[in-house]
Amino acid sequence: MTGDRKSAHSSKLIAHRECRMIRHCSNPSAIIMLLIIIAFVFPIRTAMAVEKDWKQAIGPWQWSFPRDHGAHPEYRTEWWYFTGNLRDREGNQYGYQLTFFRQGLTLVAPWPDNPWSIRDVYLAHFAIVDRTSGKFWYYDQASRSGPGLAGAKLGNLDVWTLNWSAKMIGNTIHLKAHMDKMALDLEISPRKPRVFHGDNGLSTKGPNPGQASYYYSLTDLATKGWIQTELSKNYFAVTGISWFDQEFGSNVLGSDQVGWDWFGIHLSDGRDIMLFQLRKKDGTIEACSSGTIIEKDGSSRHLRQSEISLNVKEHWKSPKSGGTYPARWGIKIPSTGIDITLTPIVASQELVTEASTGVTYWEGAVTGSGISKGISVTVEGYAELTGYAGSLDRVF
Amino acid sequence: MRVVTKSFLRYLIKRPGLSVLQLLGIACGVAAVIGMTVSARSALTSFAMAVDFLRGKSTHVMERPAGPLDEKTLEKLMLDPAVRYFSPVVDRKIKLKTGESVRVLGIDPFLDRSIRPELSNAPFSETDVKNRQTYVDFLLKETTIFLEKNLATDLGLKPGEMLSTSRGNFQILGLFANPSGEPIILMDIAHAQRLFDLSGKIDRVDLILSDEAGFLPRWKEGYRIQSHSQKKETLLAMLAAFRLNLEALSLLALFVGVFLIYNTTTFAVVSRRRDAGILRSLGAQNSEIVLSFLAEILIFGILGGALGAIIGHLLAHFLVNLVGSTISNLYFFVRPVEPPWSIMTILAGVIIGGGASLLGGFLPLLELIRIDPVQTLSGRTVSRKSRIKTQRVAFAGLAIIVVSIILLLLSFINVYVGFAGVFAFILGFSLLTGIILIALGPAMKWLFYHLGGLPGKVAAGNIRQNLSRTNIAVSAFMIALALSIGLGSMIGSFRKSLVWWMGTQLRGDLYISTIAEIQVPEEFYEELKAMPGLGGIDPYRNVQVMYNGFQISISSIDASVLQRYARFGWLKGGNENWEAVKNGGVIISESFARRFKTKEGDRVTLDGIEGPVALSVGAIFYDYTTEHGLIMMDRSTYIKIFGDTTINSLGIFIDPGNPQRAELLGEIRRKAQERNLPVLTSKQLERNILALFDSTFAVTRSMRFLAIIVAFFGITGALLTLFLERKKDFGIYRALGFSTSQISIMTVLEGLGMGLVSFLLSTVGGTALALILIKVINLRSFNWTVFYYPEWQPYVVTGIVAICASLGAALHPLWKVCRTYPQMQIREE
Repeated sequence: MTGDRKSAHSSKLIAHRECRMIRHCSNPSAIIMLLIIIAFVFPIRTAMAVEKDWKQAIGPWQWSFPRDHGAHPEYRTEWWYFTGNLRDREGNQYGYQLTFFRQGLTLVAPWPDNPWSIRDVYLAHFAIVDRTSGKFWYYDQASRSGPGLAGAKLGNLDVWTLNWSAKMIGNTIHLKAHMDKMALDLEISPRKPRVFHGDNGLSTKGPNPGQASYYYSLTDLATKGWIQTELSKNYFAVTGISWFDQEFGSNVLGSDQVGWDWFGIHLSDGRDIMLFQLRKKDGTIEACSSGTIIEKDGSSRHLRQSEISLNVKEHWKSPKSGGTYPARWGIKIPSTGIDITLTPIVASQELVTEASTGVTYWEGAVTGSGISKGISVTVEGYAELTGYAGSLDRVF
Repeated sequence: MRVVTKSFLRYLIKRPGLSVLQLLGIACGVAAVIGMTVSARSALTSFAMAVDFLRGKSTHVMERPAGPLDEKTLEKLMLDPAVRYFSPVVDRKIKLKTGESVRVLGIDPFLDRSIRPELSNAPFSETDVKNRQTYVDFLLKETTIFLEKNLATDLGLKPGEMLSTSRGNFQILGLFANPSGEPIILMDIAHAQRLFDLSGKIDRVDLILSDEAGFLPRWKEGYRIQSHSQKKETLLAMLAAFRLNLEALSLLALFVGVFLIYNTTTFAVVSRRRDAGILRSLGAQNSEIVLSFLAEILIFGILGGALGAIIGHLLAHFLVNLVGSTISNLYFFVRPVEPPWSIMTILAGVIIGGGASLLGGFLPLLELIRIDPVQTLSGRTVSRKSRIKTQRVAFAGLAIIVVSIILLLLSFINVYVGFAGVFAFILGFSLLTGIILIALGPAMKWLFYHLGGLPGKVAAGNIRQNLSRTNIAVSAFMIALALSIGLGSMIGSFRKSLVWWMGTQLRGDLYISTIAEIQVPEEFYEELKAMPGLGGIDPYRNVQVMYNGFQISISSIDASVLQRYARFGWLKGGNENWEAVKNGGVIISESFARRFKTKEGDRVTLDGIEGPVALSVGAIFYDYTTEHGLIMMDRSTYIKIFGDTTINSLGIFIDPGNPQRAELLGEIRRKAQERNLPVLTSKQLERNILALFDSTFAVTRSMRFLAIIVAFFGITGALLTLFLERKKDFGIYRALGFSTSQISIMTVLEGLGMGLVSFLLSTVGGTALALILIKVINLRSFNWTVFYYPEWQPYVVTGIVAICASLGAALHPLWKVCRTYPQMQIREE
């Protein structure tokens, strides 16, 4: 069920955006939001007729790499998600996020010979957070494939939206992004094998057939390269650890969830944890919420919701969107001997992404400490918090 | 002083007809100025607004030197670190079923979002959110568009309905507002490419650059990159000559307007000399009288100015559309915004009205206070002194004409010097009317005696005797008529030159499409070339390129075909000039040669896709297609330099003796119709060009009309004053036994006499003016030679107008005569 995260991400927040649109339809920068609403929400609402044309995530997937790093255009939605925690030579901490979405509009472009003839829309988010200055910068962009403007190749990881890209060469993924004074040029190489969430990567999302997606991660990626922030003026070297998720499917969630909290964290003893909790409208947590623990040797085990205790200890109110987000957590997983506390390295890591997905969410670097199997550990990673800005009532 | 002022003002009320005429005269002058200036400014503002709207937030625009751009460039462009945002654009025209050509913008809403948020968002933000399917349709359905609101209103179309064009029907998904008013059809770039057969190509890329200095060197070769201020300058420079023309017309309006107000005021003062004399004899101070006059003049000036501003504003509404459609026809589509009403307009009117009135009142007032009051009482006989004065004025006029000739000769410095020359000429010539009226006196007396007997003779005498008044009216009317003749002759000559030019260049049997319409697919050209029996096909391409920082035109043609069939008007040599073109050289238009001071044998350097190319100039030809300069080259040369194979139109030539001629023409027509390409004969093409020409001069023609209306008030005012002033004379006429009908004849003949003299003078002045406009102004501002063709029409038309206007002007006085003459007595005796 872990695959729900990003599906929910796309559908819910966009739906949420739509809700805002209904109230603020005079918003001048509405076009992309609307396009995305169309892309994400409209097909869902219109008919099963559209859905049946797209392949559904049903049954086991025969994983094969590098093929499955590439695109799966027969599925409507797909994403490549990179986050990471970085340090420069002086030990200053940074976090980054570089995310690529592919959203199919139609199975076959009206005129496949014309590159402008639209089949998919590619969307991307790019963020850097600087703990020392407390600053957070983000951009988002969108494009159709056009003559080489955006795309995701078949056969290997090679995805780009305009001048932001992720490309795997050998065992190394090259990440590149540049916007104004902010840039990123990283090489990330996995130190652990791929982790397949759910049932060998098939993560079911609900009771209906096809309400599922295929989902795997590279949780421990050695990271080195250069970044540039709006304060730094120039590129500077960084090293650190990254996390990569890829997921594809054609359906999204049912209508009773309001959002979710997701964590991808690295413990200093070499263990990684992925956790997520889907929050339901009635205030309860979705039973299928779950996690995965990845041991230092790369072996992994599914964590059931009943094994996890997540307590929010503090909140932060976004001055931009007005949403109130959790800002400090206590996480206990007794079955793994983990008891840790997490806080964002910078409170304000909220993205209001009008240019691409039109979603408002919080995606940020977190840090903390605690105990793992009786030993003191430090923790770093990323958290994603959705469905906190505004109300989703109108949508459902 | 209050007494004096009161007596003055009472006079105004006592003679309401005259007061109204005076007011209307001032108002008309002001209206002409305000109408012309406001409409010219309004149209040009719209132009600038339209340019700004289209440009959006982009800082630069990137194009090929000529023709469309390969879309593959975008991939490299997107990786350039200096590029912050970019948006590819297909920018074309489409013909609506109504005949109007409308801009079609093909954009990618994703990329365009950062460049033109208003445009790329507008369609999406205003429509009902429930109809979200429309956005998917916009991206996926070929025939869907968004339409500019005003255009939709004009066509009576609503979202959901179909827009009919020469290229099929389009479903309107929604509407958007364009503050500049330019009608635009918005389409997804994929659909625009398909519609205009632009597979793999775009017209330009709009850019937001973060580092211009870094970007330009990387993309110098093969591209034309202009910052938006440069681009706007280029576009405005395109309008330079046209703007100059508008400015000249505005100045002309100002000149005529001020002159008229001056006349009216002079008239008012002169006609009241006697009253002033009486008041002075009664002990009134000079200063009292002057101040009272000034008060009166200012009241008229201000009231007339304000009234004129209102009329001018209304006039501007009419003129602005003429100006706008001319700009649209020639340069760039604009829908002029209605001139905004502002208090400044009134203020400007009041200043012009008041200022010109004061100017007009100055000299007569000066004379009035210098003159002995007794003399002012003595009447208006032609004293020796006034004769000398008239001679002096004539000498001054001659001197000013001499100055004007010098100015005209110096006009090579700047076209404004030429304009100054024109105005000086008009002013100088108008000063000659007095002496000419005296000189023509006997002839008029003879003519009118034979026309109307004794009353005619008296009428002629009256005109001469009341020279101080008649002179002013005649000179004002003469100027209006001369303008009419001058502008008319200039337009007529220009039109004939154009007809001659079309005969030299448009000698094809058929023309397939035109520049303004759709392009001709290259394969269609190949298909026709394969047809046996055709004499030749000329694939015509016209593009705008930059040359030495200026926008000029390049035409590519088939030199061998034109050598055989066309008969270009060469400045030197004959059809052997084509040899150079066949060998990779170029020929240039006269406007190019004059603008860039280029001669035969010189080289012109053009920026091609592979860097600069120098081409040798083989010959210069007469051309009226563009005042910016035209370089003509063979198609092979053009493709080599610019890599652009677009064809705008095809000229088809079939030998006259070809027995299959009719069948061939029919076959070509059929083939063109299959592809939905418009076919025109050279006669139709000529008609289209002439229609365009005529619409271009609509503004000028309306100025002609305006000048005459203005002058009409002048003549009416003069006649009325003559009548009112001469009540005593009427008593004498009555005592001498003149009947009412005789007096009526006299009044009519007085009007006619002034009209005739004005017309006679204007034929001379008008012809001179036409020659000046053709040989100096046109040559300087458009860089082309218009041949002077003497034409009778402007003279006849103006003559008829003169007679009608002067007779019309006599109507009101005539009515007064008929009503009051029978009761008149010689009261003073």
